[in-house]
Amino acid sequence: MGVKAALARLAAGAPARCFAVVGAEADEIAPWLRLDPELAIVDSPRAADVLLVLGRLDDEMLRAAAGVHDAMPPPRGVLSWSPRGERPVSWPPGGERPVSWPFTDDVRVDDPAQIPAACRRLRDELLSGRRASSPDTLPDIDPAPWRGVGPFGQGGAGMTGGVPYGRPLAARADDRDGLKLDQILVRVGPYLPPFPSGLVLDVKIQGDVIQEVSIPTPAAVAPDLMSAGAPSLTGERALFNAALTQPVPVADIEVARARHHLVWLAEALRVSGLEAYGRRVLKLARTMRPEAAEPVDDLSRWLRRNMSLRWGTRGVGMVSASRAAALPGGPVARAAGDGRDARSLDPAYGRLGFTPVVLEVGDALARWRVRIDEAQQALALAQRAGQSLTTPIGLVEGPCGPIGGDRSTSAALVTMLPELLVGMEWGDAVTTVVSLDIDMAEAALPHDAAVAGRAS
Amino acid sequence: MNALRVVIAVLSVGTVSVAGIYLAAWVDLLVGRAVAGLEVRPLDALIAPLRWGAATALKARTTTERPDAETWALAPALLAALAAVGLAAVPLAPGLLAADVANGIVLFGAAMALVVVAVFLQGWSPNSPLPMIGGYRFIAEGLSYEIPLAVVLIAAALPARSLAIAPIVTSQEHLWNIVRQPLGLPLYLMAGLGLAFWGPLALPGGQDLAGGSSLETSGVSRILWRLAQLLVLVAVAAMGAAVFLGGWLGPLFPGAAWMIVKTVILLVPLIATRHFVARVPTERYVVVSWAILIPLSLLDVFIAGIQALVAAR
Amino acid sequence: MHGIAAALAIFFVTLIGFLILRASERHIAPSTSTAPARVPFTGGRAPDTHAWNRYHVRYYPMTLLFLAFDMEMVFMYPWAVVFVDEGLIALIEMFMFIVILLFGILYTWRERALEWA
Repeated sequence: MGVKAALARLAAGAPARCFAVVGAEADEIAPWLRLDPELAIVDSPRAADVLLVLGRLDDEMLRAAAGVHDAMPPPRGVLSWSPRGERPVSWPPGGERPVSWPFTDDVRVDDPAQIPAACRRLRDELLSGRRASSPDTLPDIDPAPWRGVGPFGQGGAGMTGGVPYGRPLAARADDRDGLKLDQILVRVGPYLPPFPSGLVLDVKIQGDVIQEVSIPTPAAVAPDLMSAGAPSLTGERALFNAALTQPVPVADIEVARARHHLVWLAEALRVSGLEAYGRRVLKLARTMRPEAAEPVDDLSRWLRRNMSLRWGTRGVGMVSASRAAALPGGPVARAAGDGRDARSLDPAYGRLGFTPVVLEVGDALARWRVRIDEAQQALALAQRAGQSLTTPIGLVEGPCGPIGGDRSTSAALVTMLPELLVGMEWGDAVTTVVSLDIDMAEAALPHDAAVAGRAS
Repeated sequence: MNALRVVIAVLSVGTVSVAGIYLAAWVDLLVGRAVAGLEVRPLDALIAPLRWGAATALKARTTTERPDAETWALAPALLAALAAVGLAAVPLAPGLLAADVANGIVLFGAAMALVVVAVFLQGWSPNSPLPMIGGYRFIAEGLSYEIPLAVVLIAAALPARSLAIAPIVTSQEHLWNIVRQPLGLPLYLMAGLGLAFWGPLALPGGQDLAGGSSLETSGVSRILWRLAQLLVLVAVAAMGAAVFLGGWLGPLFPGAAWMIVKTVILLVPLIATRHFVARVPTERYVVVSWAILIPLSLLDVFIAGIQALVAAR
Repeated sequence: MHGIAAALAIFFVTLIGFLILRASERHIAPSTSTAPARVPFTGGRAPDTHAWNRYHVRYYPMTLLFLAFDMEMVFMYPWAVVFVDEGLIALIEMFMFIVILLFGILYTWRERALEWA
């Protein structure tokens, strides 16, 4: 039809809307996609044209990705990238090869830099009709058909007529005051945007107050890095792991740390509603240099002055000193008064006059402040460091917590989530999870792989 | 001819609606690009809403397992219709008033009160957890901004001794209400942000709900929801311009031109707030609204009352 | 009279216009809804129950408070029109009315009914 063709031509100038499914080894690429003007990463698959499958996914994650794909309205397409050019599936060591790749006509991209252009091309082809929409991956079977009692399917046992329209209505449970209120189970899946990609929670909610959180299958919490084909650590993760066993320039490590914190801040600002400012911070993360640290100082000043950010984070997600002491370390513990920092043990940092950034309060605002202050401090250290190198002491302070110890900080944070989130309103819970900066790949990494410090 | 004037007024409401919505979308893009550090490119930003609309319209409509299909279809239409009625209560020029009733403030208040219903229905209908939370959140927000909104408009009606908007505009001939009732406009704009669930008060559709009440909509319905939201913003700005900034009053230029200028003067900051102020958590907003904003608005009425009494002496 | 007629006309024209626009979707992008497409999105996994539920009880105290202030608002509308003619006594009476309701807010605040509302 003429109308459709005209609309397609008009739509070709708009950014391609993508929903990102981020697996293992793709977390270096995923955040930077938001910077590209040709892409628009959306929060819901209902609004997306293209499904970006990045990294390596295991069985559970593939099934969830298939569910996300089927939720996208046609015309839709799939674009996939995986680190070694193979199909992005992974499976646990010694296990059977899982479900086959569910998408039949995905576009494979080998070079991550090509992703935006390929996405745009795919979207244009889909909207103009030159390419057929990607077919359903799951069978068209109603998971909850309505079979009531009676000749017309009406009615059933119980107050609500049994299972109306195929699914039960909310059960009732006590709230904080002992009143019996309706409670529903929300299966927060691996790919719900404000939460880290791969975090799976079963949340029981009364209204918008969280009553109970459980992690359904800890083994499937995150994409599995231990799979056939040597898992490789790239980019920032490789750098920090290399510092476990060999001297690495302090400037490189500190710039990587500052960059990580700024990327985190960009996402945190986006979730707080300041999407445009988050994008500005992301651009700063890409272009910042230790010699020109004024933009970061300006950013820190602006954030301190912005009262509206305080409203959402002050007093939210309190991590008590005792909980902080149970963590291996990291910015979350330092924001609650626990001053452990692996860099304090390193004489190279001692010569640079390093003292850890510690705040006493332990709420989300404190965690924001600690990370911003650490980013500023990291750039200052990088500038002062010159050519000096770290000394390998078997423990490295990564941006999320110490690497090389017996547990990863992110795994400890994930196990802490159920107790922490109970009783919180949904918005506060999201603020808390975002402020914890959980690295899902680190949360799943078995400790011996971290200690061995394998790098590509 | 009376009927001719009414028809012209109705058509002008339509024109202002369409122009206002487009201007709002354009300003939003401009401010967003400027804050994000991208090149602003105003001409490209002028066509960008159409491009977004075309790309969205080409997507098929989604349904969920057991939605409430009728109310899901009704919600954006109801929101837009209520906003249009609100805009119709505003005099766009001396003598050009579509809804020429004796109590325009009450008509505006009634239309805006039902916005809560429309937004709740948008969250309720898909039968999905996150939009449900968004819908119920908006009820908390809606009940909280309602009283300050109505009370500051009553305070503005006091000097005019009338609930109709045209007398309120003419009562500002010597002094605009923004000057003699300084609490009025800030409280009104804050309530207006809540009314349009925009910026810091974008609670039903916030990023922490992954799109919230609009999570499950796609295709043309998504565009319609956005259009309705922007129309509410335009209605809020127009009413604010009439009641606090003196409406069509002003030297040299015709009344309609002044009305447009003043509406834009209120519309731009309302839209820009989205990029500078973070979203307020529901509980905090409710407590602030009931404990601080309502007493302030009652103080505003009190001040306006004393001023009116003194002026009558 | 024509004011209300015009307002109603604008209301229904806009309502029906939007509904027609929505119906036009069928011609631009026909919907082929399948069972997996209809699953409500919470991140990729299927839901357990309907999402429809009777919400948290804390909304009810806030609604009662809102009703009290809504009635006050209703009385303030005609009061605003006749106020200046009635003089100072009208102001004092409205002030007393408002103060009584403000005690209501104070009570609500102290009873922590606004927390998590």
